[in-house]
Amino acid sequence: MTYRAPHEHEAGERAWEVVRDAYETREPLTWPRRHARPLVAGALIAAVIAAVLSPPGRSVVRSFRKAVGVERAEPALFSLPAPGQLLVTSPQGAWLVRADGSKRLLGRYRDATFSPHGLFIAATRENELVALDPKGEVRWTLARPGPRFPAWAGTRTDTRIAYLSAGHLHVVAGDGTGDRTFGPAAPVVPAWRPGSGHVLAYSDGERAMVLDADTRVVILRLRLHAGTWKLAWSSDGRLLLALAARGLRIFEPTGKLVLARNSESRPFVDAAFEPRTHRVVALREYGFQSEVVSALTGRVVFRGTGTFGQLSWAPRRHWLLVTWPTANQWVFLRTRPSRRIVGASRIASQFGGFARVSGWCCAR
Amino acid sequence: MEAHDAPGQGLGSAAKRLGAKALQRPAGRDERAWVRRAQAGSASDFEALFRAHWGPAYRAAYLVVRDAAAAEDIAQEAFLAAVRALDRFDRRRPFGPWLHRIVVNRAIDWARARALRPEAEAVDVQAPEPPERDDALLRELDRLSPEHRAVIVLRYLLDYTPGEIAELLELPRGTVNSRLRRGLDDLKDRLR
Repeated sequence: MTYRAPHEHEAGERAWEVVRDAYETREPLTWPRRHARPLVAGALIAAVIAAVLSPPGRSVVRSFRKAVGVERAEPALFSLPAPGQLLVTSPQGAWLVRADGSKRLLGRYRDATFSPHGLFIAATRENELVALDPKGEVRWTLARPGPRFPAWAGTRTDTRIAYLSAGHLHVVAGDGTGDRTFGPAAPVVPAWRPGSGHVLAYSDGERAMVLDADTRVVILRLRLHAGTWKLAWSSDGRLLLALAARGLRIFEPTGKLVLARNSESRPFVDAAFEPRTHRVVALREYGFQSEVVSALTGRVVFRGTGTFGQLSWAPRRHWLLVTWPTANQWVFLRTRPSRRIVGASRIASQFGGFARVSGWCCAR
Repeated sequence: MEAHDAPGQGLGSAAKRLGAKALQRPAGRDERAWVRRAQAGSASDFEALFRAHWGPAYRAAYLVVRDAAAAEDIAQEAFLAAVRALDRFDRRRPFGPWLHRIVVNRAIDWARARALRPEAEAVDVQAPEPPERDDALLRELDRLSPEHRAVIVLRYLLDYTPGEIAELLELPRGTVNSRLRRGLDDLKDRLR
């Protein structure tokens, strides 16, 4: 008789993709590198000692020392460690950051979101929903009272933008036509379910409503923690995450609760599905510390002093961006194939205030 | 016969059923060839190494942590560690024990850590797991401490001798024997 553990085959196939990637991108150890290692290690130690001598840097350095594998914290955001472009908002407005580090201020917008393929951007200002191209040129506008939290999804030829206005959910076609009003909605970014059709989840304050925007049929109502502020689908649309400070819940499309993590003592700050997996990383805060953990296993991925702001996954390549307002840094963590950590400093001065990430999109 | 076999011989057989045919270890010569060619850059040989060892590594992790997602992470991390160390790996040594050492030690750490995290509810994100064979045995195995579970998994799933287990876990041989004896005695009492 042969014992097989549950999901052994599927787990093996998933793991093989990651492990093969690691194998194919490994750097074989060469003679000069062996000898260079002590020199690099010496230089790093000297740098750390120098940094520790500066009192303001002490707590940050202490955090870094706790994190395994920090290689460098750049004095500015010179480039992104993975393909794609970042869309961020700061007190100055919405910015587009390309992989080479170049930045473009798109204009004074409050919220922004990429179109499904990163070709356009939907943004909001006082009483307008606006569609822009990546140069910041306005393609169309729609006047609505106080629009917020846009989310854009669909195919190359048929897209929808969901947003909130005057306390209600709205859905408009990607060309700005056919705006429709739906039920009352709490201030949570609506989450489009990946896949065919135009199905989205939004919060009415107490429940997550899963809605077919074409037929207006509510497919599902899910009870939420009070104060749930984030909804997100896994890449395959098979799981829905609902996050509140005191708990994280994951549902199947049937409404079945498949994961619940409560956290009274360590409130959740953010959480996100790793692209193309059902793995979830979460950001928690306790005392003067914050940590990034695997929601499933509780394994700590990264820890630091002060407050972490957000998590955002790169579209490919296993890079995770953790914003760290306390240190005025963005920290990029590569979780696979091997762990790597790259920091970028002085974020606030580069964006006119500490920037909030709206999306990391579309490696082409 | 090892001294630990006597008190729980029947259970040893039951536990061994979990491992029967589960571990089809590659011949040492094959394995050394795969490692050598993988070090030289042969992806197909590296894949052969992975395929030969994934099952035992995942099962061992799963039987210690009893959580499919965690077992996947643990086994995958062990293989990633193997990739990082591949060029320095001594081909004269067997690959399996080296990998299983990482898997079992990480699984024990994870299981200990979970025991200290009462706020996490033990709900798995994956689909409901299919019924397992030897349900009662597995359920009772779950009630042992991670340390006892680990030695039983190494002995009866992965077929290591107590001497090899001692080397793998860096424990005195007597400790391994006593954990095996204690673990099997506990299982026997509970399954009575």
